[in-house]
Amino acid sequence: MADITTQTLIPETSSRSATVWRVIKRYPVFSLTVLVLFLVIPAVFAPLVAPYDPFAGSLGARLVPPFWQEGGSMEHILGTDKLGRDMLSRVIYGARVSITVSLIAIVIGGTIGTLLGVISGYFGGRTDSVVMRLVDISLSLPTILLALVLSAALGPSFTTVLIVISVLLWARYARLVRGETLAIKERDFVARARVAGASHLRIMLVYILPNTFNSLVVLATLQVGYVILLESTLSFLGAGLPRAEPAWGLMVADGRELIVSAWWVSMFPGFAILVTVMSLNLLGDWLRDHYDPKLKNL
Amino acid sequence: MKLKLKLGSVSAGLLAMVATVGLSTVPETAWAERLVFVSAGFDESNRVWDVSKPDHVQYDPYLETLLEVNEDGSYGPRLATEWDHSEDFKTWTFKLRKGVQFHNGWGEFTAQDVVHSRDLLVREDSIATLGDTWRLVESIDTPDDYTLVVSFKSPVTRRLAEYSFARSGDLKIVSKAQWDAEGEDGFDMPAGTGSYQFAERSLGLNILYKAVDDHWSGVTPGFDELEIRLAKEPATRLAMLLSGEAQIGDLPRELHQDAADRGLKRISSTMSVDWVSAYFGGMYLEGDPARDENVPWTDIRVRQALNMSINREELLGVVFAGRGTMAMISNWTSASEGWDPAWQDFHDENYRYDPEAAKALLKEAGYGPGDIKMEIWAYTSPGESEHPAIADAMGIYFNAIGVDTDVQMLDWPRVRASYRGKEANCCMWPNVISWRPAIQGVRNWYYSKSASNHFNHPDVDPLYEEWIETLDTDRREAIANEIATILIENFAEIPLFWFRNEVFANGDVIDSWTYPGLGAGRTTHYDNIKSVN
Amino acid sequence: MSVIVFGLARISGNPLDVMLPIEAMPEDFLRLEKHLGLDKPLVTQYFIFIGNALQGDFGESLKYGGMSAMELVAQRAPATLELAGLALLISVIIALPIGVLAAVAKDTGWDMAAKVMALLGQSLPGFWLGIVLMWVFAVMLGWLPTSGRGGIEHMILPAITIGWFQVAAIMRLVRSSMLDVLDSEYVKLARVKGIREWKVIWKHCLRNAGITPLTYFAIVVGGLLTGSVVTETVFSWPGIGLLVIDAIQARDFPVVQAVVIIFAGVFIMCNLAVDILYAYLDPRIRYR
Repeated sequence: MADITTQTLIPETSSRSATVWRVIKRYPVFSLTVLVLFLVIPAVFAPLVAPYDPFAGSLGARLVPPFWQEGGSMEHILGTDKLGRDMLSRVIYGARVSITVSLIAIVIGGTIGTLLGVISGYFGGRTDSVVMRLVDISLSLPTILLALVLSAALGPSFTTVLIVISVLLWARYARLVRGETLAIKERDFVARARVAGASHLRIMLVYILPNTFNSLVVLATLQVGYVILLESTLSFLGAGLPRAEPAWGLMVADGRELIVSAWWVSMFPGFAILVTVMSLNLLGDWLRDHYDPKLKNL
Repeated sequence: MKLKLKLGSVSAGLLAMVATVGLSTVPETAWAERLVFVSAGFDESNRVWDVSKPDHVQYDPYLETLLEVNEDGSYGPRLATEWDHSEDFKTWTFKLRKGVQFHNGWGEFTAQDVVHSRDLLVREDSIATLGDTWRLVESIDTPDDYTLVVSFKSPVTRRLAEYSFARSGDLKIVSKAQWDAEGEDGFDMPAGTGSYQFAERSLGLNILYKAVDDHWSGVTPGFDELEIRLAKEPATRLAMLLSGEAQIGDLPRELHQDAADRGLKRISSTMSVDWVSAYFGGMYLEGDPARDENVPWTDIRVRQALNMSINREELLGVVFAGRGTMAMISNWTSASEGWDPAWQDFHDENYRYDPEAAKALLKEAGYGPGDIKMEIWAYTSPGESEHPAIADAMGIYFNAIGVDTDVQMLDWPRVRASYRGKEANCCMWPNVISWRPAIQGVRNWYYSKSASNHFNHPDVDPLYEEWIETLDTDRREAIANEIATILIENFAEIPLFWFRNEVFANGDVIDSWTYPGLGAGRTTHYDNIKSVN
Repeated sequence: MSVIVFGLARISGNPLDVMLPIEAMPEDFLRLEKHLGLDKPLVTQYFIFIGNALQGDFGESLKYGGMSAMELVAQRAPATLELAGLALLISVIIALPIGVLAAVAKDTGWDMAAKVMALLGQSLPGFWLGIVLMWVFAVMLGWLPTSGRGGIEHMILPAITIGWFQVAAIMRLVRSSMLDVLDSEYVKLARVKGIREWKVIWKHCLRNAGITPLTYFAIVVGGLLTGSVVTETVFSWPGIGLLVIDAIQARDFPVVQAVVIIFAGVFIMCNLAVDILYAYLDPRIRYR
């Protein structure tokens, strides 16, 4: 609906600027550019782009300020952290870590959630009640606390963080997919397939699942930002990724005492988080507005 | 029109908030008579048997001990005026001070209060640090109200006795009369004999103490009220100091330079209190099933190599801003039994910073670059936040000599459970520990029958067992010396530095604070805090 | 659920490793294990836990001797509730008008500004915001105290820190449901009848639009409670969040179990309350 209104308001002058404007409004150019710059390129090309090894510190060059401050130099454009590791390189590699954690967690949580959601919505009855009960329980458990307890039990590690985040994510997917499944399974083409003798599995995989795809993508995009923030909060509380990893959240948490004196240790990764999450949210919003207005309230 | 309305309502709301903020700014005159010390935290409880020594900081203002620890580490009279021992050192007799009054009108301090206080420490649920010493007591006689005769099951040397009964020990004197009348509930408003008295506690927030007018020592504290405030976040503590909400605070060492740069005054303990060393996991006696000869550092050359890979001067400057002295071995200072300045020479030669020599040693032991993979465990505790920085730095040094190091962030219970459970073969960890007498240190960390020891050597156990039986001072010194020498020559650990305890204060309010440190604890003698006025 | 909570708490470690001093010998560990009942098999401990819990007794705190877990939670709860309440109030006061504004002035600069604000809110880590707010307002400007609990001036910064994230969420919800309602027949009818625009918006739309955000109230409450954990740590606010973090670090099972179960219980109750409220407010049901 939004598009119709705006399009009728734009004067139909057949000039190039109008076309350009239309293109810009159609695609989330801004957020995509930012994302590519800040997330995709650094993550994929990190070893080529980053000037230093993010793990190599030099105790003689600790807490060097960024180049525009007194004491800084072009050797370390964004300064160094407590152990003399180059901030620019760590922020660049941090993109890689953030994407990896988010993607894996979302894939795991999303897969489990989707499968359970489809099964629950399709079969209904007892299965449905059981799964929805699990979803309710999962959503009512205090997330951060669970993460802390798990971390205290298993020790902080990549795996622990992934487990924790996946456990937190799956319920949303399950609920969403279940809702969609309920709607889709009443549709004609599903009834026809059933009459034609297709097995349950086939119906679920071929007919129902692909139709939930749009919503899944929207949800996933919106959740990447959430996962990145969650990782940083877990690191603040001591339940995050292993120390040496150049993860943005870990860097912000680590540098928080120095927020006033060596502000760059916290600020640059913090800024990276801010920009990335913002663009992801913008992208997610756009996707939702254009593909699936039903999800407005997520 | 509607837009203006929306705008109006929003700005009205914001204005209201700002007004509330402005109107409720607290005037700061209230702080003048109250001293606020902001601390990283401790185990909060008034029940003295439920709290172990480092956390006795919360009792120091209002509970006293029989003996005092002086500025130079020597012991002096406090609630006891004289003390002496029997020939066989099994009986210690104390003459107690007369006319000392408990707070809140709970009567005069007598020998019965000491008996009662000790009884509390040997309760079934007691976690008192010196519990073993207090359980060694066979009986306590009180021939009269001001005389105490303590009989131990085995001899207790002067060092150990004085250490235990002084401010450095955990026998804090509480009132028997209060216990008889109120039982355990009395600890909600405990009476002591100190120059401050307990006023109020809010769990998770603070403890309030009020100065006592006519203390037996004649000394009145410089401030009418003392508040120990808790704040876990170091950034918060620094913010409190800078905004004037707290006048003294303890800060992690990485913020020390910052604090000093911003005009806060550094106040140091008179003597060193803590040391930091890094410990090897898996160093059990040969024959212990948990011992694995494949662990690289069971080879003495590897231990030496790791020691030589660390640039201690640089590390001290980096993590502690240079404010410490080199440690040659854990726990021993010149105040300890068996101290030998000659260790310095061995240390200079064999623990020096020499990465090339370190690599050569590794090669000799059969390990090339990348052959050794290990973990360093890091964790933080209140008041000890430097472990991660040390662990990180060690990782860098070890990587530089070809040892693949991974730094893992855990927490103290996990680290301790691992090495207590003998599951630490993979790893090393740094630890900041407070000074205690040498014999106790050996028992804790080198005697193979203790719960959480770090390093075992076949000669240490028999020497220790002889040590606890011997009364001859010379022989004791010799044993202590021998054990320490074994540890140093066998590179039992990676000793790093000794520090004093340092807190930061608002120089406009606080003039000075003299407190000894060493065994007495990290911060003590709150009545010694002198205000500028 | 109780199994999960119990199981997780127990596998996190042994509280004695936190409580006992380094001096403790193996005998001391045995003595205290016996005293605390930790030497019994796990299953037995579980049943003891359940049995007591059903009577409202979550055991004695291991860290704060002499206090029962429930007592501790009850003591610290008001602090967190205060903070959560103020946070909710602040976020609603800010989010509601802006959400309405954004919906009404859709696609204009105001909408953009609101979107940006919402985005900012959901993209900043809470602890970072808290520390920055503390430094700006308490240290540099000196307007507010840095930490601790006291009068309302102590509550403002932590409440803003918790509430900030919620402003974005609430604003979005209000905006989208307002958009829905603004287009409905009911509103068009009212406009045709000549009712003044602002009356249309406030009286008619908001009441209906308010329903959807309400259903997410429970999630918002959940967000507030979890936000309190981080914020209370930064601002040294002695509430349940700080209590539970300390308890986890100290392996104080009884307290951890008590807090987790209570959090979950509150969440479930909020859901229930919202369901009831929804049934009450939904005009379709009311005007039947």
